[in-house]
Amino acid sequence: MTALVRRVLAYAALTVMAALVLVPFAWMLSSSLKRDNEVFTVPIQWIPNELRWSNFVDIWERIPLLTYLGNSMFLSVTITVLQVLSGSFAAYGFSKVRFPGRDALFLAYIATIAVPWQAYMVPQYIMMQKADLTNTHLAIILLQAFGAFGVFLMRQYYMSIPDELCEAARIDGLSEYGIYRRIMLPLSKPALASLALLTFVNTWNDYMGPFIYLTDNDLWTVQLGLRSFIGQYDAEYAMMMTGATLSVLPILAVFLLGQRYFIQGIATSGLKG
Amino acid sequence: MAQVITRPAPAAPRARPRGRRAWRDILVGWSFILPNFAGFLLFTIIPMLTAFALAFLKWDSYSDPEWVGLDNFARMLGDENFHVALRNTLFYAAGHIPLTLAAALGLAIALNRKLRGVPFFRTAAFFPYITSLVAVAVVWNMLFNPTAGPINQVLEAIGVSQPPRWVASKDWAMPAVVITSVWRDMGYYMVLYLAGLQTIPKEYYEAARVDGANAWQRFWGITVPSLRPTTFFVAVMLTIQSFKVLDLIVVMTDGGPGRSTLVLAQLVYREGITEGRFGYSSAIALVLFLIVLTVTVVQFRINERRSAS
Amino acid sequence: MISSDISASAAGRRPVLRTLAAVAALSLAATACGGSKDDAGGDGGNVTLSVTVWNMGKTPEFKALFDAFEAANPGIKVKPVDILADDYADKVTTMLAGGDDTDVITMKNVTDYSRYSSRGQLTELTDLAKAPEAAQLAGLDAFDVGGKYYALPYRQDFWLLYYNKKLFDQAGAKYPGTLTWDEYVKLAQQLTKDTGGKKVYGTYQHTWRSVVQAIAAAQTGGDQLGGEYSFFADQYAVALGLQKAGATLDFGTASAQKSDYKTMFETGATAMLPMGTWYIANLLSGKAEGKIDVDWAIAPMPQRPGATGVTTFGSPTAFAVNKKAEHADAAKKFVQFAAGKAGAEALSGIGVVPAFKSPEITEAYFKLKGMPADETSKKAFEPDKVVLEMPVSDKTSDVDTILKEEHELIMVGEKSAADGIRSMSERVKSEVLN
Repeated sequence: MTALVRRVLAYAALTVMAALVLVPFAWMLSSSLKRDNEVFTVPIQWIPNELRWSNFVDIWERIPLLTYLGNSMFLSVTITVLQVLSGSFAAYGFSKVRFPGRDALFLAYIATIAVPWQAYMVPQYIMMQKADLTNTHLAIILLQAFGAFGVFLMRQYYMSIPDELCEAARIDGLSEYGIYRRIMLPLSKPALASLALLTFVNTWNDYMGPFIYLTDNDLWTVQLGLRSFIGQYDAEYAMMMTGATLSVLPILAVFLLGQRYFIQGIATSGLKG
Repeated sequence: MAQVITRPAPAAPRARPRGRRAWRDILVGWSFILPNFAGFLLFTIIPMLTAFALAFLKWDSYSDPEWVGLDNFARMLGDENFHVALRNTLFYAAGHIPLTLAAALGLAIALNRKLRGVPFFRTAAFFPYITSLVAVAVVWNMLFNPTAGPINQVLEAIGVSQPPRWVASKDWAMPAVVITSVWRDMGYYMVLYLAGLQTIPKEYYEAARVDGANAWQRFWGITVPSLRPTTFFVAVMLTIQSFKVLDLIVVMTDGGPGRSTLVLAQLVYREGITEGRFGYSSAIALVLFLIVLTVTVVQFRINERRSAS
Repeated sequence: MISSDISASAAGRRPVLRTLAAVAALSLAATACGGSKDDAGGDGGNVTLSVTVWNMGKTPEFKALFDAFEAANPGIKVKPVDILADDYADKVTTMLAGGDDTDVITMKNVTDYSRYSSRGQLTELTDLAKAPEAAQLAGLDAFDVGGKYYALPYRQDFWLLYYNKKLFDQAGAKYPGTLTWDEYVKLAQQLTKDTGGKKVYGTYQHTWRSVVQAIAAAQTGGDQLGGEYSFFADQYAVALGLQKAGATLDFGTASAQKSDYKTMFETGATAMLPMGTWYIANLLSGKAEGKIDVDWAIAPMPQRPGATGVTTFGSPTAFAVNKKAEHADAAKKFVQFAAGKAGAEALSGIGVVPAFKSPEITEAYFKLKGMPADETSKKAFEPDKVVLEMPVSDKTSDVDTILKEEHELIMVGEKSAADGIRSMSERVKSEVLN
């Protein structure tokens, strides 16, 4: 009986949490089915007067959403792949190879995350302008693919993998690259999945970077497309929320894909060997 | 395999002979780091150093820069906006870091089990992070509404006679922002904790259960120590993110009412891009960087001491 | 061209720091003096003129102007550089810092203009501003920087009072003429009602500080950059009185829940709405498309007691030529065109209020389908005096920030109007004017 009660309680608690967490999303969803001038009513009107499903059709005609989705997808996937590869590779150097200055370098590395981008945005832009890279996707990729975040995350994960494992592999004659490839990568799937997920989401939702660097309309990302509904003095809020709802879908897909790896046992099964 | 290996003497790695082996380690180490580091150096560190250099200049983004020495820092001492923003940022960090850490860990543990529907709840917990910021701001501001908002209605129902006026008050706007941001970020850090939880061998728990440890003892005896690398990562990242918080505040209160939620990153932005005082803006950014660097170094020290013990 | 003290300082006490600074200065300055290409537009051949705009798709005035200009100048094609309205100034600032050679830069407001012109990023257009045709440009004064001009306005919006006729009829109230502020407050209270759970406010005062401060400055002759703000007091009494009487949505709720003036007016949640003329084009097109169902008209802004004539405030929007423009001559041609009669015709055809004033243009404007035709509306459209929303100087945006912050504190009730006005004066004097 206790097991049953426990289970019911657990579900009740989880359901309450889910409701708390989903309220703003519900607002977004409800707004996406309204007219523009019905979105910001005071008090909030949760159920629209009429459900305007046509918003979800109209938006494809109002803005080249397909192009924007394609650009966002291209940038997010490319940056995620580069970040995961270069980040986990560097993390191995920072965690399993000992050399002088390693820790100081590492510390400096992550401290740079603390500098707000707005502080060095203009010098960076001038540099990119001189290299003739502004208004290209390459600019965004170069700026975001090599970050300290991925290195830090992967390093912490590798720290929790016992050194003995590497030593054993070294004795078995594996090179450091072999250890990284054959032992560390397979063992760190949960961390790789979470890094990939978080990088993907951050790139997908990034607004300021693409805004500053991408000028031509056919290079724009979804987030820029959504903001294009805001005018000088007014905005089409329903369209924005329609677009925001649509732009959540790819993230959801990636999340559902990635969270398969958060199942207890994968990492440990490797360790037991 | 792992069990068979005997632990090498702790001093062994450091006692490695100098010379060829050491050079080999340096080369190998750098070969791992370089692909990331080269890109990072070129596209982030160099512009960043340029910005730091600007802290000693007066520059409007167009005319020739002018050397002003420490003027920008002297100005900061007398700048009321800087003092307010610094105080607000520290307040925000003090609330946001521990609360988010606890919430994220709690969520991760609650959702790290094989229960039907767990993928749904995990996804739900991540939703705040991917919901449009405008939606977050509008709905939370509605919840915080001083007269008609549900939060104050609950507070009144449980006997709080004068509930706070939240975002319409200069003292309670920041707590409101902190609560909203904890709610928003917990799912993000939960993902990191979920990954960390996968590294704890199940056998630890089984052994503890055999020894008769209850859930509470297992949590403090096994989960918390095993998660130390993840907690360290989460704590450092939370610190960094808290000190440069910007997005949510801009959408939720835009620094107001008055300057009650003005934070450092917003000041950096305003002074630089908006007002064209790039030198002063960079100086503030440099100070922000130094504060975070100091805190991070302390966190590193504590972490080293803990893992050594 | 690097100022000498930097090169000298490289050998100073902190060599590393100073060298770094010098390198930064060099690399930044090198961009600054990268000269502009010579104008290729002289040969009359095919020129593609680039113009920064915000939200091309949502701002029909740009397309109207470009089409008209291209038709009048066969050799020139216009290529819009589309930038999001929200952070338009940030992107333009960054682009110009990088040495961008876009030809025409649109000045979204006069504050941005003062910034770009003071940094020397714009080409001087004084000759165009002194041309006879420019005498008819409303709002041209705003662009006078010590006798020199670097931009010409093409659009001039000003504030008036919109009202919902149906809500007036229901309340049995007479349509407003030129009200005094007291009459406005009384009318707002009379129009406020709460029937069947749906609250109708008598008026909606949007959260922008100009709704209180700019109108006070315009009608009392006060200077918003002066550091002395007692002239705001009467207007705060009006705003707080409305709020206390429940005749307008309270400020805290409006700003927290991002209340939208369009929503308030178009859903019949407010009977009156002081707002800028840009909203007219919106109402016209919304009604034509069947999205809006409001029977509206306009009246002049309420006035202070004993005022002679109608005084309101407004703000012009202008085109300027980039100092590094690739096609400077064609760019000047475009600026002149947009600010002239032909540009005004194109603008008024879609309901936008052009800066170029002439009786024919106004007449044509009121012939647009859906425009209210009553005398009061026409009178509202021709105020006697339009004062610039916020004076232009290098202090403008700093003062603006302080006035906004204190405005919020007064409106949410954290400070009394008197205290707020006092700290505005203190802060502006100590933080900006010192």
